[in-house]
Amino acid sequence: MNGKEKEDVEELKEVLSVVSKEVPNLIKSIIASVFSEEAGRDMGKAAAAFYKELRDAGLPEEVAVRMTENYVSVFTSLSEVMKISGKEKIEGAKIGKEISEEVSRKVKEKLAEKLGKEVNEEVSKEIEKELAKRRKEECKEEEEDEED
Amino acid sequence: MKIRSIISIILSVSYILFNLIILWATLGWNVRKAKKAFEKQLIRQGMAKRDARKLSAQYSKLKNDLMNTLKRSIRGEI
Repeated sequence: MNGKEKEDVEELKEVLSVVSKEVPNLIKSIIASVFSEEAGRDMGKAAAAFYKELRDAGLPEEVAVRMTENYVSVFTSLSEVMKISGKEKIEGAKIGKEISEEVSRKVKEKLAEKLGKEVNEEVSKEIEKELAKRRKEECKEEEEDEED
Repeated sequence: MKIRSIISIILSVSYILFNLIILWATLGWNVRKAKKAFEKQLIRQGMAKRDARKLSAQYSKLKNDLMNTLKRSIRGEI
């Protein structure tokens, strides 16, 4: 076991010691905030007050019960929110992947276009140089002929 | 030093697993208590026992949804 591995083990040990203390307490408090006698009593009080108001207002029992059921279901829609957030995560990941693919494709296209232009420019420069060289040579030959 | 670190890691993981099992086992009991308290308040305000039970069933539904979401997240679907 070298020094780096020793450090990793030590780090893992420290992380796990903190996680083992904090995570169970965190989950416990989250569960207690929803599923406890006190939370049930509070929710029951709110729903009962809602039901009583409806009954006092003269609504039939059946309607009052149905409306209270809808009122309570707002509380339980927490799980729906979690489901939706999960789906959005997946859709977000898909969209992110599509965007990155599109960006890389565009970048490649632009690079190819730019490189193509550069190559064309280089080729035309080379041709011009070659032509200039030939012209010079022709001029020299003509001068030599005239001298002769 | 090395053996002590490994033992400490094993103990920490065991502690986490033990706590999670305890939480899972007590969740049903907590839901039952919350349902009873919820029903009691509704019945106190004049709601029929049958209707109160119907409304408190939302707690069981929430618990099941929560457990399913956790299972899915463990499987790596989310």
